[in-house]
Amino acid sequence: MSGTSDTAPVSAARASQAAGSLVVAIQGHGSRALEAARDVRTRLRRQFPANPAVVLVTTISEGALALRPVDDDVGPERPGDSALFIPTASQGAVPARTSPMGPLLQSAVEHDAAVVVVIAAEPHDGEVDWLDRLLSPIVSHGFDFVCPAYVRSRTEGAINTGIVSPLIRTLYGKALRQPLGTEAALSGALARKLLADEDWRKRPAEAGSDAWLLAKVLDSGARVSQSWLGAWPRPEGEPEEASETLVRSLGLVFGEMERTGARWQRTGPSGPVPTFGEGGYAREGARLDPARLGEAFAAGLRDLHPILGLVLAPATMLELQRAAGSKNGPGPLPDAIWARVIFDFAVAHLVRTVERRQLLRSLTPLYLGWLGGLARDAQALDDAGFEARVESVGAAFEREKRYLVARWRWPDEFNP
Amino acid sequence: MWEQAKSTFLDAAGRVVQAIARLLPGAVALAIFLVLTALVAGAASYLLRRAGRRLDVDRRLREWGMAAPEAAGHVGPTRIAARLVGWAIVALGLVAALNVFESSATSAIAQRLLDYVPQVVIALVVFMAGVAGGRAVERSVLIGAVNMGLHSARLIGLGARWLLVILASAVALEHLGVGGTILTSAFAISFGGIVLALALAVGLGARDLVARSLERRFSDRSGDRSESGDDKIHHL
Repeated sequence: MSGTSDTAPVSAARASQAAGSLVVAIQGHGSRALEAARDVRTRLRRQFPANPAVVLVTTISEGALALRPVDDDVGPERPGDSALFIPTASQGAVPARTSPMGPLLQSAVEHDAAVVVVIAAEPHDGEVDWLDRLLSPIVSHGFDFVCPAYVRSRTEGAINTGIVSPLIRTLYGKALRQPLGTEAALSGALARKLLADEDWRKRPAEAGSDAWLLAKVLDSGARVSQSWLGAWPRPEGEPEEASETLVRSLGLVFGEMERTGARWQRTGPSGPVPTFGEGGYAREGARLDPARLGEAFAAGLRDLHPILGLVLAPATMLELQRAAGSKNGPGPLPDAIWARVIFDFAVAHLVRTVERRQLLRSLTPLYLGWLGGLARDAQALDDAGFEARVESVGAAFEREKRYLVARWRWPDEFNP
Repeated sequence: MWEQAKSTFLDAAGRVVQAIARLLPGAVALAIFLVLTALVAGAASYLLRRAGRRLDVDRRLREWGMAAPEAAGHVGPTRIAARLVGWAIVALGLVAALNVFESSATSAIAQRLLDYVPQVVIALVVFMAGVAGGRAVERSVLIGAVNMGLHSARLIGLGARWLLVILASAVALEHLGVGGTILTSAFAISFGGIVLALALAVGLGARDLVARSLERRFSDRSGDRSESGDDKIHHL
């Protein structure tokens, strides 16, 4: 993987079907964001000459998040501006308060945009024309929304693989591989529709977050596609703790699940999402120890029994205890049980059985147990086998949807 | 002799009647006081229960782990508070009613008891806050300790809870003026004991964690990725 540079392969100038400008916001801060912004602008001018490019960087201006056009001579930071830490694509699940989505949509309408894009400042895959894959489904194929997917190691992004992706597929009927990735592209028409949404006034704390955008798009009947953008733009620094990532991402997803409850209960089985580019798994990556993850699961299940007992249905609890107390050490969690665990947590989040942050943090040992099973499969299976394994998780979530609907409707009375 | 007996009896009866007549207004006033107090207590208790229901206090306390989970036959925190307030008002009314007899002894007792009431109320509030806070802290510490991979997570959570309960009890008793120096010493010993137990629990439970943390800090960073564990990957 290398940074976005002139040496990266780029497609020839594309005959654009979509008239209007390309409005791009760079997620990130400091010189890296500035560098990425200039690089993206150069590439856009070369690849999409028919569409004027407007590249914006994020700053805080007078205490509020704002977008400012990148300038060759003057950097994004001017007197009165301050650098802002924006969670990047690699971290995902950007909450509304740090999301540039609101100003970006406004800017898109002002510039009569054909395409609106959010791009992470981190270096992208130098082997793939990722910018073209992100934009061309809208510019040339008439899609409204492009959800990116990245080539990563099998166990990385496991919250996306094992929770968010199957949940989104079950709720909204779209099998997106990495739904919470922050980077996204949407059409100008969709941007105008989103900007007119009343949530900006009624729910300002949620409007603009990653999960909000996803739920709105999937709920709106927009033409959705996904694109493989090559290797994942990895951020610098230590990864976040699993419990923190769970709180951040599932808090947003469960919040949207609550808002769209009346709608997703009527959604049918999922369908395939048109996909651009080739997917796959990176060969390198952290090697997880399934045995240690299993131990963390068993110990957590034992110690958090008083809390988990309030959240999980008795039958689910029994299955978890059976898996944790297996003779040969903690075993893998069956997909159906894992789906019920997530659904039970979603219901507990809805009815506030336990304080929401504590609730999501208490999911960590169960997630580690599931991750241990995934790590074991990642070591044992080939790419096709592992792909089937990931697919089976999503299918299990869909099969268990009746359980979710029943629990959602009667959270107190329903006791399987 | 009959006349003498009759006179004595009539005198005694007269004195009894006079005594009753003297006490009767006070007794009636006491009865009225008690009836009024009971009415006020009932109304306060009802209003408290109603406000608790409207504000969903029980659910909020359970959400934060400050109250025990709902169960059959379990009395909720709002109901307990309403009963406490009701009986406290009745007791206060009873003490205040003693003044109606205009006896210096009863008045002095009533005055002293009434003076003591604010301290009792504050001590009770401090104690209850300590108990509720202790439960909430126990849950939070327990989850944090489990997620850190500490072996003695339950013990650490329990220790954190009792630290708060003992602290609240000591403050409440101090406020009531009970115990004096013995209480301070007992508190210091108990508090110190729990802190020591917690330190040992964390030290023993987190031995591996500390070792891993130091290893990460001082070893070659390029070796990190070959290590096993869940803290090396991006989960999203």
